[in-house]
Amino acid sequence: MYNELKTLKDIPEEDFLTGGSPTCSGCPAEMGLKMALKALGKNTIVVNSSSCMSLLCNYPYTPLKVPWLHSAIENAAATATGIVRALKILNRHSTVICYAGDGATYDIGIGSLSGMAARGDPVLYICYNNATYANTGGQWDTATPFLANTKTTPPGKYSKGNLIPPKNMIKIMGAHGIYAASASPAYPLDYMNKVRKAQAMNAPAYIEYFSPCVPGWGYKESLGVKVAKLATETCFWPLYEIENNKITINYKPTQMRPVKEFLELQDRYRHLTDYDISVIQGLVNSDWKELLGGESCKKT
Amino acid sequence: MLNEFLTGNEAVAWGAKLARTQYIPNYPITPQTEIIETLAQWQADGQLEADFCSMDSEHSVMSAAIGGSATGVRVFTATSSQGLELMHEMMYIASGLRLPIVMVNCSRGLSAPITLLCDHNDYLGLRDTGWIMINAQNNQEALDSTIMAFKISESKDVLLPSVVNMDGYVLSYTMEPTIVPSQSEVDRFLPPYRPSHAFLDTRKPMVQGVAALIPDDYTYFRKQVHKAQLNAKHVIEKTCVQWHKATGRHYGLVEKYMLEDAEIAIVTQGSISTTAKAEVQEMRKKGMKVGLLRLRVMRPLPKEEIRNTLKEMEGVAVIDKNLAPGLGGIAHSEIRDCLYDIEEQPIMSSFVMGLGGKTEEMKQFAQIVDMMKKDMIDKRGRVRFV
Repeated sequence: MYNELKTLKDIPEEDFLTGGSPTCSGCPAEMGLKMALKALGKNTIVVNSSSCMSLLCNYPYTPLKVPWLHSAIENAAATATGIVRALKILNRHSTVICYAGDGATYDIGIGSLSGMAARGDPVLYICYNNATYANTGGQWDTATPFLANTKTTPPGKYSKGNLIPPKNMIKIMGAHGIYAASASPAYPLDYMNKVRKAQAMNAPAYIEYFSPCVPGWGYKESLGVKVAKLATETCFWPLYEIENNKITINYKPTQMRPVKEFLELQDRYRHLTDYDISVIQGLVNSDWKELLGGESCKKT
Repeated sequence: MLNEFLTGNEAVAWGAKLARTQYIPNYPITPQTEIIETLAQWQADGQLEADFCSMDSEHSVMSAAIGGSATGVRVFTATSSQGLELMHEMMYIASGLRLPIVMVNCSRGLSAPITLLCDHNDYLGLRDTGWIMINAQNNQEALDSTIMAFKISESKDVLLPSVVNMDGYVLSYTMEPTIVPSQSEVDRFLPPYRPSHAFLDTRKPMVQGVAALIPDDYTYFRKQVHKAQLNAKHVIEKTCVQWHKATGRHYGLVEKYMLEDAEIAIVTQGSISTTAKAEVQEMRKKGMKVGLLRLRVMRPLPKEEIRNTLKEMEGVAVIDKNLAPGLGGIAHSEIRDCLYDIEEQPIMSSFVMGLGGKTEEMKQFAQIVDMMKKDMIDKRGRVRFV
């Protein structure tokens, strides 16, 4: 059981990620860490993989009020294993989280993450998914959506952008038998409650936080939350969780909005024709149908 | 204290246990496996206090070692060859974060082509990482060095990780009579690890692994590692004296063997030294003025000891169980550097020997001395494969 946040007023006022960090203005990834720390409280240790967020602490400054460790890109989960094991040896209890990008999670660090989940180390792994290697300027990784323009999948005479459909890391992590969920900055209570739920489990958990990227996706910096909200309202980024291999959809839009409304706010889809958009709409429809089917398998 | 008959692997497992290591992330690789298997069995039997934690790769092993040490516990691990190469990225991070992790490396040649047998290219790949590097010549020294390495690494004047090298198969899987110190002996020598420089505690928040994007800041941190390496020399000497007092066994930065009045010095590292010393004895019986210098500590490189010992020689034959392709032996270059600022430099040749476990016989060292004499007549050092 965990202390559920029922309304926005329940969100703790105290911040453990203060101002003055060198992220882009309106960065939803920074919001994701800020909200997670609000939900988790002071007794938390953060591990970052190399990413935009590993540049939060720039000698001699830090915007963090909790302990923090960064070592490399592919090993946040393994590093966190070392921390939780050491805390146990020292007979101290703190929540340990990883806050890692999608490149570090989906690609270079998947072995390290899978190992952590399989060993059952009590770490909450939050992947902030901006669907590219954002810190190096926005290159393709296996979280990049179909047809998106990245620096290494540019559209051109012979290309429509990224032609490799992304992996589903939430299902991959759910298949480890651990708690796995999606989350979004547009639904802060849903996100923070998932963080608290995972914290209370004292077991490995995986939350993937949808993290629009101002320079990478090409939208106005004030629109991050709107972009994220449209992603969920169009069912491009549904909110759901997997627990004991059972899927629960946390939010079902009363009316599914056309994916075009989400795409047209972003420069990374600027090259698409109406036909291309209809192809993406078809993929979104089938993914959503599959998710609904997956949910109906559970006992009600 | 126990008199045992142990493989090198068992000996260092004893070292890790007696040092009261708290956390042991691990991953198997030949010829190191017996170390972690021994520790695993002890844990299964309730004879090991440490958390024995099997990981998903060597990269994850060193990452978890860093996580554990950065939190504030004493960490031990062991690897070899390709495993060490996979860890390599994390080696610089461990030293840069100033974490006193101790690792045993069972030396094995690097692929390609793949081999299981010993040479030192894996171990010597660490020479610029900031780790303290100690190379044992027998199983007793491997055990003793493992315990001493914790004391050296955890010294406030050092705070760097250490690697203790032991030759794969030649030592790791070979049994030798070994004295296992008692727990109370080791406890008196090595106090518990209580870090004040690096820990993760929510009551006293600290950030570790920050960016230093300003070049002066970056240089400052790297220079601290340099200074710690320089400090380590005295700490190692002091630790050797303390270990000698505790156990009666003496080690140093280098080992000098029959070097008084010698004209030719053979320089070695690791287990090859014991074979070479046996042949030096034979040559001495024949009246040849030959001695041996063993490089026990590779980092910090004991430059003064090397210079002061070798400057009197007429010829120096540096035997390297490793290869810097296109150059020769790795230690050969390093030792030549130590002798740069003396006036009359000895003739120095590089002998690359024992790659991938190639046989090292006593008589080969006499042959090396013969070749060395030829180079001295020619007044020209050469690079040779033996």
